[in-house]
Amino acid sequence: MSTDWMEAAVLLENRFVTEWKGAGKKVVGYTCSYLPDEVFHAAGILPYRLRGYGAEECSIGDTYFGPFICSLPKCMLQLAGEGRLRFLDGAIITPGCDSMRRLDECWRKAGEDYAGIVPPFFFHFAVPHKLADYTLRWFAGEIRRLIAAVEEHFHVAVSDARLAQAIGVYNRGRALMRELDGLRTMPDPPLTGTEALAVILAGTAMARDVYNAELASWIEEARRRTARCGNRMRVMLVGSANDDVELVRLIEGDRALVVADNLCFSSRFHLDPVSEEGDPVEALAQAYLRKNECPRMYGQYDARLALLREKIASARVEGVILQNIRFCDLHGAENGLFERHLEADGITCMRVEREYGPLVEKGRLRIRVDAFLERIARKRGATAREATAREATAREATAREATAREAITRGVGAREATVPGVAAEGAGTPGTTGQGVAAPGAGGRRVRT
Amino acid sequence: MRQATREYKFDWMLWASFATAARLRDGSEKEYRTALRYLPYFRGIVDALLQVGAPGREFLALCAAYFENLLTAREKGRKTAITTFCFSPTILYALDIVPVCLELLSGIMCLAYRRGTGEFLDYCNALGFTETSCSSQRGALGGFLAGLGSEIDMVVTDTPGVCDTNANAFAFASAYLKKPFFQLDYPPVLVDARTDAYQREDYRALVRFLEEQSGTRLDPDRLREVLVAAQAQDEMIAELEELARLVPNPLPSCFNFMIYAGRFLFAGMPECTRLLESMLAVVRANAARGASGLTSGDERLRAFFCYIDHFTQNMRLWLMLDELGIGYVGNILGRPWGPAAPYVRALGKEEAAYTIATTDLDALLDGVASLNSRMPMVKSIRGPYDAPNMWLEDTLALAKMYAADFIVYNGTPGCRNTWGMVKLLARDTEKAGFPTHIMYGDAFDDRVQSWESTRERFEEFLAVRRLLP
Repeated sequence: MSTDWMEAAVLLENRFVTEWKGAGKKVVGYTCSYLPDEVFHAAGILPYRLRGYGAEECSIGDTYFGPFICSLPKCMLQLAGEGRLRFLDGAIITPGCDSMRRLDECWRKAGEDYAGIVPPFFFHFAVPHKLADYTLRWFAGEIRRLIAAVEEHFHVAVSDARLAQAIGVYNRGRALMRELDGLRTMPDPPLTGTEALAVILAGTAMARDVYNAELASWIEEARRRTARCGNRMRVMLVGSANDDVELVRLIEGDRALVVADNLCFSSRFHLDPVSEEGDPVEALAQAYLRKNECPRMYGQYDARLALLREKIASARVEGVILQNIRFCDLHGAENGLFERHLEADGITCMRVEREYGPLVEKGRLRIRVDAFLERIARKRGATAREATAREATAREATAREATAREAITRGVGAREATVPGVAAEGAGTPGTTGQGVAAPGAGGRRVRT
Repeated sequence: MRQATREYKFDWMLWASFATAARLRDGSEKEYRTALRYLPYFRGIVDALLQVGAPGREFLALCAAYFENLLTAREKGRKTAITTFCFSPTILYALDIVPVCLELLSGIMCLAYRRGTGEFLDYCNALGFTETSCSSQRGALGGFLAGLGSEIDMVVTDTPGVCDTNANAFAFASAYLKKPFFQLDYPPVLVDARTDAYQREDYRALVRFLEEQSGTRLDPDRLREVLVAAQAQDEMIAELEELARLVPNPLPSCFNFMIYAGRFLFAGMPECTRLLESMLAVVRANAARGASGLTSGDERLRAFFCYIDHFTQNMRLWLMLDELGIGYVGNILGRPWGPAAPYVRALGKEEAAYTIATTDLDALLDGVASLNSRMPMVKSIRGPYDAPNMWLEDTLALAKMYAADFIVYNGTPGCRNTWGMVKLLARDTEKAGFPTHIMYGDAFDDRVQSWESTRERFEEFLAVRRLLP
């Protein structure tokens, strides 16, 4: 794992951001994967996915938010209040969910108490909750409103040509992400889920063209690896946002491998390309709004279940961890439905509620994960036992047939041959064990030679 | 869920209870008092409602009629739609679809059931729905998911973009029950050209969905009739709201609940009109005498609830206010935001009011879309709390206009949306001079905080802030 990438994954102000700022360029943070990064890339601004990672307490978050709120936006506010997001020149708040959209007000109001924590450019970017021709029109209008605000505030021009070029750069990144996903889902993957998440997270905090180049060479390096992940249990991680590589590390330990996911801070929003034909704003609106992997797009449960089933099949997933941050009802409720349907499919599931942030619940999570892996292991064991039993049965049948044939060939009376299980399985079935092999009433087990 | 709870359909139980209760006053006082003895857990609400006279009887009859509609929908060939209090039922009535308003049902169940909706709430959790979700939908929803309610044909909501927790309950219901789903979606701004255009198109998509699901073509004359009646009802509510500005307030405490329950269950229907007419008669008479609506006649304080009420068993919130001499001057649930509403006129907020024209189908659809976008929550918490026409502006304007002495926030722990901003709101209302009390209980679940504890904290607030001598 590249140290730079791990640094980008776990440090707010990583080397790439520092260098970017050092060159006098701007950084804008955003909260939701429904925001088209391409707009900022086209404006020469670094789009930076906001995270709460690194918050060690929540006193500021708790001051402004009420008690029954997800800890992710609270941690983001905590970082902002502590002045750790001062490198941002702007912030975009999106209604990904109720907790997150209220970060808008809480951050602004905290700014009245903590000077200088609200970036000069602060924008509420709305996203419809469904896909229809009129919602697409509205969303394209919202992207244009954002572009106009960016142009005015930062004195830049976001032309169609620059947008089209940005779309091309991001599509290249998406293609690489698909390659990365391909590596993850191999029978014997050359990378762990922890590494994959670090690679993906790094992409949210560095310039996309630089990222693409690094990612391409990293993928090549990963392909050449001789050390593989072996026969670990293959797990999929689903649910609330997770930007903590330590959570994945905890899940994987030395027995499991997160080979697929359906998470906000992960590959799901980077896979589908944006059309490079026609009006770039409309292409962005189409591509971003048609994504229905997030439960904020209501009424799309069946499509999301189908997507999970497809990923489970293609990545040969043995178990699914359905996690949600406490008070995340959107993922929490949907996880309940997923659990019902996937367990019915025979997929081992674990549903767990957790807090965002430092792994304060490490012990509890470890116990839950161990129990979950134990279930998979037992299933593997049962499957292996079944396979062994099937093989043994097949061997036995072959042996019986051979013995019977041999007996017939020798001309020895079949009644006098000892053929285990012949009567029980072959009684009255000429051709299976030889003519007249079974003796009625002999119990099918022992026939004197 | 206990076997005893599973024995009867919950909506049938409620119909039987309300239908009987509505007739209790038909006999003599002695018969009435004797009958109450046979209603061990329900008599508190029945007696409290019947104490206010004809409006109480009308209200019980209205609830009974609502349940009867639901129970007989199938045999009358009508479809049923699970929906929310944020959604105006007018369009459903125009298409002869029976609205099944989850929050109202939960509220009524809380008021009437000895154990509230606890078992139904827990049943949802057992199926996988989160325990942190809003209890206002979860109570009644548990009954339907358990198969203890009438057959449901579709799910219709309008809270995406307004309240995710609410919308999520409807999405869960649709996925679990495998019923068709439609969502109206709202941008964060109340008034601008883009929003108007979006709402109009979205509403037309809703009508297409309802027509398809119900197999009924929308009849413009029927829609006109319902909308005209709904507007007339809102004008009656506007008169009640205007009279509530008087000191003392001539409205009995529980009238506010009856207004919004009537509106959410029967907007545009004769049942709601009859209820409002009977209420107006009482309030006009009180106002003419300069009398308070409180039992004691002594209005010591005036309270504005900036969110919702508390639906603990037997209407104890309203009885407590009455007992303490606190005039209730409303909450956000009761405000129709019609053109005749006193706050629209007094504050010069005409753009915040809905407008209905009845010239043709297009105008009617624009009107009902506009009306729907002024429903509770949809109107005032769709955007940032301090944006124009949103929660803070409405709360401060109404609290000032109704001369409130203090403001109370009450909700549910599941209300991610308001809990995300209520501390900010309270800080601003305090700065504006209104002592503000945040209640930490659950309006629909006494197990979160018992009513006794809720009351104690409420009275403590009044004492600490020296509001009551």
